Amino acid sequence: MTATIDLQKSHSPATNGGGFLRRLNFGTGIIFGIIGALLGYFLPHHFFDNQGSAFADQCTVISAVGWVIGFWFGIGALAGPFKWFLGWDQTHADEMYLAGKDQGKKRYWKYCTDHKVVGVQYLVLAMVLLGAGGILAMLIRTDLISPGSHFVNQQVYNSFLSLHGMLMIISLIIAVAGPWGNFVMPIQCGARDMAFPRLNALSLWTVVAAAVPLLTTLFIGGIQDGWTTYAPISIQTGIGMNTFAIAIITFVISTTVAGVNTVCTIMTMRTTGMSLDRLPIFTWASLIGGALGLYAMPFFATAMTMTILDRSAGTSFFSADSGGTGWLWENMFWLMGHPEVYVILIPAVGALLEIATVFSRKPLFSYKTAIGGMAGIAGLSILVWAHHMFTTGWAPQLGGPFMLTTELISIPTGIIFLVAVGTIWRGNLWMKTPMIWLMGFIANFIIGGVTGIYLSDIPVDNTMHGTMFVVAHFHYVFVGSVLFGAIGAVYFWFPKISGRFLDEKMGRISFWLAFIGVQVTFLAMFVSGLRGMPRRYASYQAIFEHTNVISTIGAYTIMAGMLVSLANIILSWRSGEPSGPNPWHSKTLEWLVPTPVPLENFEVLPVIESDPYTYGEKEGARA
Amino acid sequence: MTKNNSNKFSLKPFLVIWAVLTAIGIWISIKGTPWLMEKSASHQMHMAILTVIVFSVAAAPVAAGIYAVQIYALAKWRYKGEGVPPDAEPLRNNVKAVSAWIGVSALLTTFLLIWGLAALASDDNVSGPNPMTVNVTGQQWMWSFQYPIAETLLHHNVESNILVIPVNNQANFNVTSVDVTHGFWVPSLGVKVDANPGTVTTLSVVPNKPGWYDIRCVELCGLNHSAMITKAHVVSDKEFLTWLKEQPASPAAITTSVKN
Ligand SMILES: [Cu+2]
Ligand SMILES: [Cu+2]
Repeated sequence: MTATIDLQKSHSPATNGGGFLRRLNFGTGIIFGIIGALLGYFLPHHFFDNQGSAFADQCTVISAVGWVIGFWFGIGALAGPFKWFLGWDQTHADEMYLAGKDQGKKRYWKYCTDHKVVGVQYLVLAMVLLGAGGILAMLIRTDLISPGSHFVNQQVYNSFLSLHGMLMIISLIIAVAGPWGNFVMPIQCGARDMAFPRLNALSLWTVVAAAVPLLTTLFIGGIQDGWTTYAPISIQTGIGMNTFAIAIITFVISTTVAGVNTVCTIMTMRTTGMSLDRLPIFTWASLIGGALGLYAMPFFATAMTMTILDRSAGTSFFSADSGGTGWLWENMFWLMGHPEVYVILIPAVGALLEIATVFSRKPLFSYKTAIGGMAGIAGLSILVWAHHMFTTGWAPQLGGPFMLTTELISIPTGIIFLVAVGTIWRGNLWMKTPMIWLMGFIANFIIGGVTGIYLSDIPVDNTMHGTMFVVAHFHYVFVGSVLFGAIGAVYFWFPKISGRFLDEKMGRISFWLAFIGVQVTFLAMFVSGLRGMPRRYASYQAIFEHTNVISTIGAYTIMAGMLVSLANIILSWRSGEPSGPNPWHSKTLEWLVPTPVPLENFEVLPVIESDPYTYGEKEGARA
Repeated sequence: MTKNNSNKFSLKPFLVIWAVLTAIGIWISIKGTPWLMEKSASHQMHMAILTVIVFSVAAAPVAAGIYAVQIYALAKWRYKGEGVPPDAEPLRNNVKAVSAWIGVSALLTTFLLIWGLAALASDDNVSGPNPMTVNVTGQQWMWSFQYPIAETLLHHNVESNILVIPVNNQANFNVTSVDVTHGFWVPSLGVKVDANPGTVTTLSVVPNKPGWYDIRCVELCGLNHSAMITKAHVVSDKEFLTWLKEQPASPAAITTSVKN
C-alpha cells in the first residue's frame, strides 16, 4: 500500500504541491505557533480550578513551549519524523523538493535543507536580530544622554538593557557561524551538503522559534534582571522571565543541533585528499567554535530550566530561603558565558584569517600555530569562568587559580595576532573592503584584549567589576572585533551568494563611521567606568555626564555606519556590479564552483592535493 | 599573477613608528591613569591604580608593535596597481619568530600573574589598629549600616544609612542582603563585594584619607538599582565617637542574622 503511494510521489514533478506537508512555510509556522501559544495559555485555565500562586508563571511557560512546538510543526520541521512514524519513506523527489529544487525565491521562506539556502536565511536572520538589538542600544544610549533622563522609565530601561544583551549575544553567535558556517564551510570541505541537512534547517528555524518568545518578553512587562538573569532576582522578576527562559532553552537546542552538524560535517564529509592539515582555516574555526558551543551552551539551558522550576514548580535551586544559592546560578551561567565569548569570536577569527591570506596574496602564516592558537583559546576558555565572580564572595581561595587560567589565554590570543601579522607581512595588500574591516578588527581587538587583562587581575577587578569599564571592554570585543569580522566576512563572501559585489565606496563610508564610532563610544565609556560609573544604571550622577554624552554621539555614529552597510547589502543584492565566480582570485573551494552555486555544489567531487594557500608557490609544490 | 613581487621591510622607519607609539602609550599610562581613575583613599585603591599603570606600561610596547605593523603595512605594502595584485613571496612559517613571540608573551603573562598574586596578597593582608566591625545590609533599594561596637560602648544598637568609619583604623564589613543580590562598592576605597541573601561576605579596609566618598550598588538589583547609592564618611576617631553617640538607639538588630 505504502509502496504504491511512494511510487506515485516519486513520479510527481518536484514543483507539484504534493499535499499539505509540502505547503508548510514561514507563514503557516507563525499561524500554528500562535495556535500553540494560545492553547498553551488557555487550556490550563480550562482544566485547573485550583490556580496556585505560580499559575501565571506556569501558563506563560506552557504557552511559550506551545509556540515553539506549534512553530516547529507549522514550518514543517516535524514533517520528516511524522512521515517516518507512518512508515512513509522519503523518495528522491521528496528530498529534492525539501532541498528547494526549482522553487525559486519561495524556498527561502521554507524548511529548506540546502545548506546554501540555510546560510542565506541565517544571514538575513542575523541582520534582523542585530537590527533589533541595535535599535535597543540606541534607545539605551538615548536614555543615558543626560543624568536624570526619563526618556523611558526605569522598568522599561531595564527591559531594553536585558533584551539588548541577549539579542546581541544570539545574533553574534549566529552572525558568522550561521551564514558562512553553512554556506561556505561544506563547500570548503568539498561536501555536497551538511552531514544532516534536515537538522541544518531545524537549527535555523529553531533560532526563529527562540527569537519570538524572546521579543515577546518586552511586551509582557519585560525583565528586570539583565541578560545575565542572576538569581534570586530572576525568580522575583515578572512573567517576562518565563518567555525569556524558554527562548534561551530553545536557542540552545538550535546551537546544539548546529554544533553537532558542523562537527560531523567536518569530520566525515571531507572530499578525497582534504586531510585535516589541508582544511581551510575558516573550516577549522567552525570546527573548534562548533565543538566549544556543544560544551558551553547546554549549561545555559540547564540553568534556565532550573530558573523555570524555581519560579513555577516550587523548587529552590537559587533561593536562599530554602537552602539554595545564587552562586549556583552564577557558576552555571559563566560556565556557559565565558566559552560562549569564544564560540562567537573563533569563527570570526577564522573568516578574517581567510581574508588576510587572500588580500595579502600570501599563504596563511604558520597554519598549524593558528589552529593551535584557536584550540588553545577554546581549551582554556572552559577553565576561566569564575573570573566573572571575583567580587561575588564565592570561593575567594580560588581567585589565584582563576587569575592564572585567565591570563594564560593571552598567549593563544597573542598567537592569533602573530598569524594575522605574519600573513600580512610583506604581502601585496589589496585594500578592498574585506581587508579594511580586517584592519579595523586587529586595531580594536588589541584594545579589547589589553583591557581584558586588567579585569583578569583581582585587585584591579575589585574596582572595575560591574562598571562601565567592563561594558566598554566587551563591546570592543563584540562590536569592534566580532561585528567588524562579521561585516568583513559579508563583504568577502557576498559575491558568492549573490553573484554581485557590495559597493566599495559605501563599504568604506560604513567602515569609517563604524570605526570612529567605536572609538568615540567605547573610549568614553572606559572613562565613565574608570571614574566609577556602574553598569546598568538608568540614571547617573552628574560627574559622568560628559563621557555619557560622548558615548551616545558615538553610538549614533556606529548605527549610521551599520545602516550604510545595510543599505549597501539591499541595493547591491538587486543591482550590484556582477562579480563572476571568483572575484578575489581565492583558492578555497567555495570560489572554484560556479556562482550561483548549483544544488549539491559539485558536478564531480574535487580531489585535493594541497592546502588552499599556495599563493606565490608553484601549484602542487606542497602536495 | 605568476611573478612574485616581494615587498621590502626596512627596520628603521618601523622602529621609529613603534618607538613613538610606545612612548605615547607609556606617557598615557603614567600620566593618564591617576587622572582618569577615582582618587585613592586606601591601600587597595592605591594598588589598583598602580597595577593599571604597570600593566599599561607593559602592554604599551606590544600594542604599539601591532599598530606599527599596521601603519607600516598600509604605508608601504599597499598594492597601488589596478586589478588583482600579483602573489607575494610566500612565507609559510618562521619557527624563530613564532617561538620568540610565544616566549615573550609567556614571560609577560608570568610577570602579570606574579604581580597580580603579590598585589592580591597585599590586599588580603591589609590590617590596621582598632579593628571595628560594620554590618552592611543591602535591600531594594537602599543600604543600611549597623555598628556592633555601639552595643559595647553605648549598650544600644546604632543603625544608619550612611557609612561612617574612623580614618587609619581597620574596618571589617560583614555584607549581606535581605532580598536579591546587590553589590557593595566604595570606589575610593577600592573594595567591592556582592551582598548575597542568606550569606555573609566580608571585606577589610583601612581608609587612609578623611572625606566623603560615594557608595554605589554594582549588581543589577531591579527597578531602582541606579538609585541605590549613598555616602561613606571617613572621619577622625574623635569625630566618629561623637557621631556614634549622637545616633538614636535603633529598635533591634535586624537583618544581619544569617538564615540557614
Ligand atoms: Cu570571561
Ligand atoms: Cu543594585
